[in-house]
Amino acid sequence: MKKLSWLLIIVVFIPLLSGCWNRRELNELAIVAAVAIDKAGDKYLVTAQVIDPGQVSTNANGGGRAPVTTYSEKGNHIFEAVRRMTTTTPRKLYFSHLQMLVISEEVAKEGMNNTLDFLTRDPEFRKDFYIVVSRDLKASQILKNLTSIEKIPAQKMRSSLETSQKAWAPTVAIQMDELISSLTSEGNNPVLTGITIKGNRHKGQLMDNVEKINQDARLKYINIAVFKKDKLVGWLNEKESKGYNYIKDKVENTVGPIPCESKGELIVEVIRSKTKVKAKFINGHPRIDVYVSSEANIAEVACQIDLTDPAAIKKIEANTDKVNVDILQTSIKKAKKLGVDIYGFGEVIHRANPKAWKSLKNNWDQEFVQLPVKIHSNFKVRRTGTVNQSFLKKE
Amino acid sequence: MSLFHIIKKNAKRKTMQSSENEDAISNELLTGIFSEDLQRITKTFEKSSDVGFREFTIGNEEKTKAAIVYTDGLANKTSIQTFILDTLMNEPKQLENRKETLYSSTLFDWVKNSILTVSTILEIKDFESLYINVLSGNTVILIEGYKVALVASTADWEERAISEPTAETVVRGPRESFTENIRTNTALIRRKIKDSNLLCEQKQIGRVTKTDIAVMYINGIVNDKVVDEVHTRLDRIDIDGILESGYIEELIQDVTFTPFPTIYNTERPDVIAAGLLEGRVAILIDGTPFVLLAPSLFIQNFQVPEDYYQRADISSFLRMLRIVCFLISLLGPSFYIAATTYHQEMLPTSLLVSLAAQREGVPFPAFVEAIIMEITFEILREAGIRMPRAVGQTVSIVGALVLGQAAVEAGIVSASMVIVVSITAISNFVFPAYNMAISIRMLRFGMMMLAASFGLYGITVGILALLLHLNSLRSFGVPYMAPFSPLIKEDIKDTIFRLPIKYLVTRPRLISQNNNKRNTTPTSSKPEPRK
Repeated sequence: MKKLSWLLIIVVFIPLLSGCWNRRELNELAIVAAVAIDKAGDKYLVTAQVIDPGQVSTNANGGGRAPVTTYSEKGNHIFEAVRRMTTTTPRKLYFSHLQMLVISEEVAKEGMNNTLDFLTRDPEFRKDFYIVVSRDLKASQILKNLTSIEKIPAQKMRSSLETSQKAWAPTVAIQMDELISSLTSEGNNPVLTGITIKGNRHKGQLMDNVEKINQDARLKYINIAVFKKDKLVGWLNEKESKGYNYIKDKVENTVGPIPCESKGELIVEVIRSKTKVKAKFINGHPRIDVYVSSEANIAEVACQIDLTDPAAIKKIEANTDKVNVDILQTSIKKAKKLGVDIYGFGEVIHRANPKAWKSLKNNWDQEFVQLPVKIHSNFKVRRTGTVNQSFLKKE
Repeated sequence: MSLFHIIKKNAKRKTMQSSENEDAISNELLTGIFSEDLQRITKTFEKSSDVGFREFTIGNEEKTKAAIVYTDGLANKTSIQTFILDTLMNEPKQLENRKETLYSSTLFDWVKNSILTVSTILEIKDFESLYINVLSGNTVILIEGYKVALVASTADWEERAISEPTAETVVRGPRESFTENIRTNTALIRRKIKDSNLLCEQKQIGRVTKTDIAVMYINGIVNDKVVDEVHTRLDRIDIDGILESGYIEELIQDVTFTPFPTIYNTERPDVIAAGLLEGRVAILIDGTPFVLLAPSLFIQNFQVPEDYYQRADISSFLRMLRIVCFLISLLGPSFYIAATTYHQEMLPTSLLVSLAAQREGVPFPAFVEAIIMEITFEILREAGIRMPRAVGQTVSIVGALVLGQAAVEAGIVSASMVIVVSITAISNFVFPAYNMAISIRMLRFGMMMLAASFGLYGITVGILALLLHLNSLRSFGVPYMAPFSPLIKEDIKDTIFRLPIKYLVTRPRLISQNNNKRNTTPTSSKPEPRK
């Protein structure tokens, strides 16, 4: 019994001899906030935006330096480029807190698949970072722009994208898991928001940019990129992006103009919106019905209208329905022109009638171009704000 | 044979020898020859100047020689003079009474039954009990020609008055605490429980100190097996001196190799009374105000007497706070170390950036920082206890703050570590039971080491090991983690929260023998609405 207890004690202490593997102190980490992937000749150019904690923290001891640093390296594959970066970085990169991934248009046109495998396979990457495509610029230049209010530019990009998605219909925020699921599904194709720099981007890389009231260069989200599987084929403009978001039921809150009976417009703020997509088969051919029901408040009135009159409200609702249908149809037309089903209509048909889908799926992109889509809009006005009639009415 | 074994063997041999010597000094009986006995007693106390002798004669007529032996300082000289010497030396009335009864009883019986007006009288026959009684403050009366001596209780000495408890203060509730005199302590308990079933058995433990020990319990409620077990264990003790209840606690507890106390100790009479009412056994030791209570459960360490004097919702809230503080105190620094060295992905990004900024320039890894801060706090805390009153308070508080601040500014530790360590230290003080609080502080170091070596996995393993250990403990046969395991639903009402007294109907099932409903007040006490 005594021997057994001594043996147990030795067994308990042996694991301590192995040391603490996997131990990384906080000051051994290089926290990567954003990654940009470009093409440089045949190779990939990977840029990482690393946070400098001493410059970001609230107790500013030694300000004046930039809050982030970027490191770039080339490589045939992404992981190779990341590891080659250790020749320049003071610490090994830590990707668990990645906020944004920026892919350049070039890489997107060639096909994203090769770049994405590393990002999904490595356990250090989370699935909740946003992916955007840089428009007209190299992706690495996006990362070098300094931002006001948010010290870390990647943080600004992320919060801007999230806020914009909730408050403005044409913006969509795609995370890694959603991207992968729309890539691999047969009846769906991915989209990504585009990002660009408005202003003089060379000046945007200097500290001067954030020391002024009116900055020289700001990051801005613009348009939505359309992908056919993993290759970029085109862009949707603002109106078409709005339509896309309505059909995908991603609209939480947005604002849009409605024409009045008399001349002028009024602005409604959509507070709730729900879209249902249903597939029907008529004579063996599929047909899609999109039911959009939304509720809104009247936000801004720039025309002569009596808001206390229920008939006027009804007219506004009818006009809005027409406007909605128009927006969605424009979007679908553009998608058909590009020949890509980005709305997931294929998936809906698959769910409705799996047998028919089997014969349709091989040719789906062509079938999509001829697919009849009918939009039904049901719009209701809920409130008119704190004023009943606009003071503009009284002449 | 190894050194360890040789030392053990020698120790065993020594104890056996000493007990043999003990038997050689046999307990001699009084011979009855007055001068011899008195001479022997005088010789034993030759060099003790505080033991006093007084020879006198009883009565005017017979003039029998007698002597009293007492200890100055322990015996009340006034009662000796008034009740013993006065009555024995001057007895004109008694003389006539004795003559009338025609000297039917012996002088001894007559002295014992009719003359001595002391409240307690005992007869002793051997020298050992004579010495014990003299040194306990009683007066021994030797009468010529008799082999039996009389012991009169005259014990009275200077002692501390009943004051407020130092370690267990309450906002609402009685403020008296036990003192060092065992008789005062039993009296304090008797004042709370006036039932004749409250029994008080006395014994003496300790070969040299001969300390008085009292075992109190309420017959009928208590589990008889526990009482027998307590007596067995107490009788098994063979030690030269018992100075404090801590000695007894260590000698009779179930398991020595555990950081958790299995016997509860307190200096408040109301806690002891409540324990007795639940069927526990109280062990009082002369010379210390800390009374033991057995059997004890884990959950008792979270309970304060004030929980029962305040309303149920307040008490439940405070109890849950205590449990939260227990967890913080045990696991606080460990979680911090594990999260910042192994699991940085669990922290929100802005927090991570903040912490990383603080760690820039700090030379030590997080674990070493934590150890430095913890040990500094332990040093400050101990110093605060031992320091003289006037200086103590300021130095400990100011020292902690200034040290922490200075260490951060010198760049030795990071500010967040100081915060974590301070919060754990403060939450440790919330804990009512002092011995448990110390155990948690020790265990915290073990958890920190596990966290620094294996991260969260290490903490989980540590918690599992602790749980397994806790569940294996028993206190006088009762499982330590009752009523959680084994799950006793009726007793859960008084653990993490306290339901109003109306609902605390039965006694704890494993502790008391009779689960009599201790409380049958009807639960609804609203008056009927007037018609």
